[in-house]
Amino acid sequence: MGADHRTFLEATLPHLDVVYQVARHAAGDGQDPEDLVQETYLRAYAAFGSWRGESTRAWLAAICLNAARSAARRRRRRPWEVAAMALEALPVARADGGEAARDVADVVIAGLDAQAVSRCLAVLPEPQRVCIVLMDMAGYTAAETAAVLGCPRGTVLARVHRGRLKLARLLVEAGVSDGRP
Amino acid sequence: MDGHDRDHGLLAAFLAGELDAAGARRWDEHLLACEQCWRAVREDRAGRQAAQLLRQPAPPGLADRVTFAVELAAAGMAGQGWPRHRVRPQRSRRWVRLRWRWLAAAGALAAAVAALAAVLLPGGRESASMPAAVAAVAHYAQTVPSARPPGPAPGGSSAPVEVGKPVTVSAGGQRMVLRVWRLGRVEAVVAVSTRPFPMPARAQGVTGPGMAWTARLGTIGLYCRNGSTSELVAAPVPQSQLAALAARLPAA
Repeated sequence: MGADHRTFLEATLPHLDVVYQVARHAAGDGQDPEDLVQETYLRAYAAFGSWRGESTRAWLAAICLNAARSAARRRRRRPWEVAAMALEALPVARADGGEAARDVADVVIAGLDAQAVSRCLAVLPEPQRVCIVLMDMAGYTAAETAAVLGCPRGTVLARVHRGRLKLARLLVEAGVSDGRP
Repeated sequence: MDGHDRDHGLLAAFLAGELDAAGARRWDEHLLACEQCWRAVREDRAGRQAAQLLRQPAPPGLADRVTFAVELAAAGMAGQGWPRHRVRPQRSRRWVRLRWRWLAAAGALAAAVAALAAVLLPGGRESASMPAAVAAVAHYAQTVPSARPPGPAPGGSSAPVEVGKPVTVSAGGQRMVLRVWRLGRVEAVVAVSTRPFPMPARAQGVTGPGMAWTARLGTIGLYCRNGSTSELVAAPVPQSQLAALAARLPAA
């Protein structure tokens, strides 16, 4: 502790947006993402003296995920653990007739709805969800994501790919099972 | 490429542009002939587009909040008082005032509080006698920079003037908005939260409208009043002047 806070803020504040993306999806129920961002920065500042400066935003994301896990432990709950929810209510636009025969990708792109995407994302397995949040939402590279999660880059690529496929299919299923025209 | 090679790692590496030229060419050729893999490519793209829809910029004010919290923590780490007590003699009062205004405008209402980082963190250190949220407000009031312009004493008639801008912060898991008001020679910190500020062990209840209590932490007097929101006033004034001081401040 005791590092120059101005240097710290100059190095870390440009990454506030990406940390916020991670926090929004790492924060458990009852945890405010902005509180999690604040905690992330306080923890990062505390550790700034020992930080070697490889990838600032990867370092911040790792701290954010750890802070979310700590908060979840405090609440005796696991982060990223989202109860399976009924997909029937998801407001995904249903394509007209012949749904089953339509290409999954076409249906998904035609019916994109942020709330539905968020709900479907929440039911993905945690490793896939984290990779999607980091790469597709926060804009981390595969190498940075691998550094955050401490796993090989190939594993990250496979997880994000599987997660995207599952997300696309969940969105279609939600739309199909919605029963709306 | 052998037929329906669905290896997720390879396909993902191809989609991420991480295969060498020969590997990428093999996938290109394979995709021309393999409907199953082509569909996987399209679904991957659809999933990525869907996830990208969830991107949101950080809310306005979050950068100020983070800056504020880090500067508070930094001051706490130094374990020193704000320059109020350490202003070099050759510095003019005007210099101090300008410096303070600049800091206030920047949202950098930094303060020196030992162990403040600990109370800012959720679940952080919290003594039995002083809840973390209350301690954080008191510590902040203790170290709010002041230009100390000439003016009447707290009991005077000057109107309160807001100093700097409000900052949202969490301490001990409680979210609050902090404002600083100048009343004559006194600067008071007012913290407003939707949750009632916990009553310290040695606090005294105050009779009057609603639930209110007063307490003291070092030189800082604390006055809490609960209504639709909970409001905690912290200022370096005697206990007997707190209620009158609080009554002169704008309602939350």
